Amino acid sequence: MTAVSADGLDAAADGPGGGEARTDSGESYRLNVDGFLRSVNAARIEDSLLTVLRDVLGVTAVKDACEQGRCGACSVLLDGRLAASCTVLAADADGSRVVTVAGLGGAGLTRAIRAMFLAEGAVQCGFCTPGFVVAVTDLLTRHPDADEGEIREALSGNICRCTGYGRILAAVRAVQAERGIIPPADAHAPGNAQDRPDGE
Amino acid sequence: MVRAGVLRPAAVPGRVVLVMAGGTTSTMFRPRTVGEAVEMLAAAHDSGAAVALLGGGTDLVPALRSGERCAEAVVALRRVLELRVRGAGADSLTIGAGVTYTDLAGWSLSPGLARAARVVGSVQIRNTGTVGGALGSARPAGDLLTFLTAADAEVLTASPRGPDRMSLPRFLADGLAPDALVTAVQLARPGGPQVYLKIGERQAAYPAVVSCAVLVDRVRHRLTCAIGGVGVLPARMGQAERYARDEVDWSTGTVSPPAARRFGDLVVEEAARVAPALPEGPRGSVEYRWHAAGVLAGRAFARCLHHLTGPPAGDTARGPAAGGQR
Repeated sequence: MTAVSADGLDAAADGPGGGEARTDSGESYRLNVDGFLRSVNAARIEDSLLTVLRDVLGVTAVKDACEQGRCGACSVLLDGRLAASCTVLAADADGSRVVTVAGLGGAGLTRAIRAMFLAEGAVQCGFCTPGFVVAVTDLLTRHPDADEGEIREALSGNICRCTGYGRILAAVRAVQAERGIIPPADAHAPGNAQDRPDGE
Repeated sequence: MVRAGVLRPAAVPGRVVLVMAGGTTSTMFRPRTVGEAVEMLAAAHDSGAAVALLGGGTDLVPALRSGERCAEAVVALRRVLELRVRGAGADSLTIGAGVTYTDLAGWSLSPGLARAARVVGSVQIRNTGTVGGALGSARPAGDLLTFLTAADAEVLTASPRGPDRMSLPRFLADGLAPDALVTAVQLARPGGPQVYLKIGERQAAYPAVVSCAVLVDRVRHRLTCAIGGVGVLPARMGQAERYARDEVDWSTGTVSPPAARRFGDLVVEEAARVAPALPEGPRGSVEYRWHAAGVLAGRAFARCLHHLTGPPAGDTARGPAAGGQR
């Protein structure tokens, strides 16, 4: 199996050695995943970024659920924008920056989000969690002081089938409180199950 | 000019990725300009491959995965910056085919369209889905198609024969020539309130089951209404539109409260006559969709025309995306 790429267009990301040189390496194209350039071969043109990340590159930080762009489990940041990797064609992501939950790192905002997901019980089976952490990171980066309605709206592309959204919302509010964006008292307002009159 | 047979990656640096797997070679074309896109599309067709035009991918990529569509060559349009431009003339708005729903959602020149874009899918979908993709996929209840149908939009295209334009209904009926691509849509600048409403299985990320756009033009004394999800394509409700034209007090842009119910009833009658109808299926019975069309149309009508006296009780717009069904 051999492959060729001539992606001089993205030379800045790919560095030297594009074009014919890749023929010998059996590489179709490269993906910048979590800051590492990864060679992709044996992938088909119709393969989604999700398929290539998981099945070709072994990046299991993205989860495979609906493959229709509806559940958010495969969420990544593509050139800094939140995207469902199952709706992105992998070969078209050559030259783009792909960041999964693993690449968001254990520091800063993402560390706080992970910690609060645990502290607030926003994790049960955990399958949806990587996608949620990416989506919450995207939301709080763009809109640190998002109110409850805005948080619900922003996370509506991510589906959780076991914990329920109250705990996830509480985790996001707790991150905002920890960072001094909202008063601590507000962190346990409407999203907290114990405080809701309907107990939902 | 790129032609089949002489197409070599080295000849078009950075524009072509050959994807080889299982003994087959597929070509990913990544043009940077509309001219290049037209040339590459022609080259891809000349090679005899099954060609897909890739916009945002939100419809195409899952369809490739499920086998509903196949592609041996892909022309990916994401890097064509010309297609990502939106602009306003004295009377019209032009929206490039590569403009995403997220781009549209904050567009102050067309608040109605911005609200329609805001209720499409989820953040993930809005960040990637494009105007050109909505036209190319032509889903029966596609959010944008319903709005653009009510807006009498025109579709701008490019092909080796040069630029061209056609009405949206003609585009949807005839489709594109294989060597053409959509470059933009054009619609009139808003002349009054515009409301888009939809009903879906779930608020976010799911396609609408039934959708409705009502656009009021207080300058031309005209109201247009389109319904998606009852026919194979979005349909205009001409009878209801004529009723509105006669019923609206155009000096104030308002109507009497009972008019909204009558408007909704007329839409139900008309929805039942739309041909070809969308077959009965998992998207709900046809009667349900006719009824839903009438409810949405009456509600959108009231929101457009009761705005000076306040919305009717129990029908207040809620949430940040008040243009949509919340």
